Amino acid sequence: MRFAEFTPFDLVLLAQGLGVTIGLFLVTSLIGLLVGVLWGVVRFYRVPILMQLVTFVSEILKNSPVLVQLFLVFFGFPAFFHLNVTPVQAAIVTLSANTAAFVYVIAVSSIESIGRDQIEAARVFGLSRWQVLRLVIAPQAAAFSIGPLTALLVNQLQVTSLISVIGVMDLAKIGATLNLRTLKPFVVWTAVGILYYLTAKLVATLGARLERRLRAHSAFRCL
Amino acid sequence: MLKVENVKKAFGPATVLDGVDLTVNPGEVVSILGSSGSGKSTLIRCINGLEKLDAGRITVDDFDVSRPKELAEARKRSGTVFQLFNLYPHLTALHNITLAPIEVLKRSRAEAEAEGRALLASVGMGDRADAYPAQLSGGQRQRVGICRALAMKPRYLLLDEVTSALDPEMTAEVLAILARLAASGTTMVFVTHEIEFARQISHRIVFLEKGVLLVDLPTKQFFSADGGLAQPRVAQFLSKMRKD
Repeated sequence: MRFAEFTPFDLVLLAQGLGVTIGLFLVTSLIGLLVGVLWGVVRFYRVPILMQLVTFVSEILKNSPVLVQLFLVFFGFPAFFHLNVTPVQAAIVTLSANTAAFVYVIAVSSIESIGRDQIEAARVFGLSRWQVLRLVIAPQAAAFSIGPLTALLVNQLQVTSLISVIGVMDLAKIGATLNLRTLKPFVVWTAVGILYYLTAKLVATLGARLERRLRAHSAFRCL
Repeated sequence: MLKVENVKKAFGPATVLDGVDLTVNPGEVVSILGSSGSGKSTLIRCINGLEKLDAGRITVDDFDVSRPKELAEARKRSGTVFQLFNLYPHLTALHNITLAPIEVLKRSRAEAEAEGRALLASVGMGDRADAYPAQLSGGQRQRVGICRALAMKPRYLLLDEVTSALDPEMTAEVLAILARLAASGTTMVFVTHEIEFARQISHRIVFLEKGVLLVDLPTKQFFSADGGLAQPRVAQFLSKMRKD
């Protein structure tokens, strides 16, 4: 392919790439959050077997490169199980599972950060284990976990760029395409970098705002 | 009737309760005295089911706290006030009080809140219903703690050193409320270091020493020379506490 100058249409391409990146980021973050919290609940109830399984899976996901996981899901699983896996499906499965593994760690440590005194106070008044989790532990653990969760999500946003290597047309892949066509890597990667930066900044800002709201109760406002 | 029969409890090699017997009748105020580490708090924690018994039996109105199915009923009948308040920091004073009535007793929110506000007003905190625990002083927090226990309409109020984290002024606030509750016929099991106060409000005083119930006497006899004071350990404890 011959190289060519930038065209106004490239902006549309970048916007599309950004859309794919944000879309996949949102979907996988949401699934990751749900699954990770669910694993945390399994751990809270100390469900036998399931608890060990969750810890094992989370250990594997945390301690191996996302790129390797992605290749395993995209190339390995289809070969082994005779499945058809599209790049987007592979990206969603891999990123969700990876996010879940880290959310699980944050969920467990947040739950454990809530003092026994809180659980005892609630149990003594007859609240069931589920009510204690839902009404006493979860709201406090949520406020506690927003900081680490925001940091995790900002990181996971950057990690989404890995999926470009299996052909998902995300922001990084669009960058690579534009770069090949124009042969202007400095301009292309600066633009792509800025878009990632702004998105990450947005995530961090929303996280900080949510944290302020959830922690309103511990702020020393009157007296 | 609240009945503690031959209860034993050890934490590892340390025996904390070594065969304790205690009966509290409805309407009675029973104070539990004893030095730190004598097992007073553990006894309370056994009564409200926070600790498992190694041996013996505790029943609250015939509901055995060691049986998971009866524990819920036993807990409905006893209300605990904690030494360090243990309020829920993410809920307002009012919602700290209404949480259990709404969730456990299935009261309607409006009803529970009206009662919660009345309770707060009765302890002089009618204007602090919407404050979070972090915005309250220690004495105010403990008053909320008492309201939270009372909101469940317990037949037995268990008080575990409820003033030992408070300064003298705040202690006075809280004790004034307890004196009123005692006078109104609330059954109380009162673990405390406030000896003079215990003397004023209690019908009976129990002295715990190294996990053994050394003395269980009506208040007057407990403080008389041929009653509780005849026990050297009690006399020693009382004279030391009074000096401080």
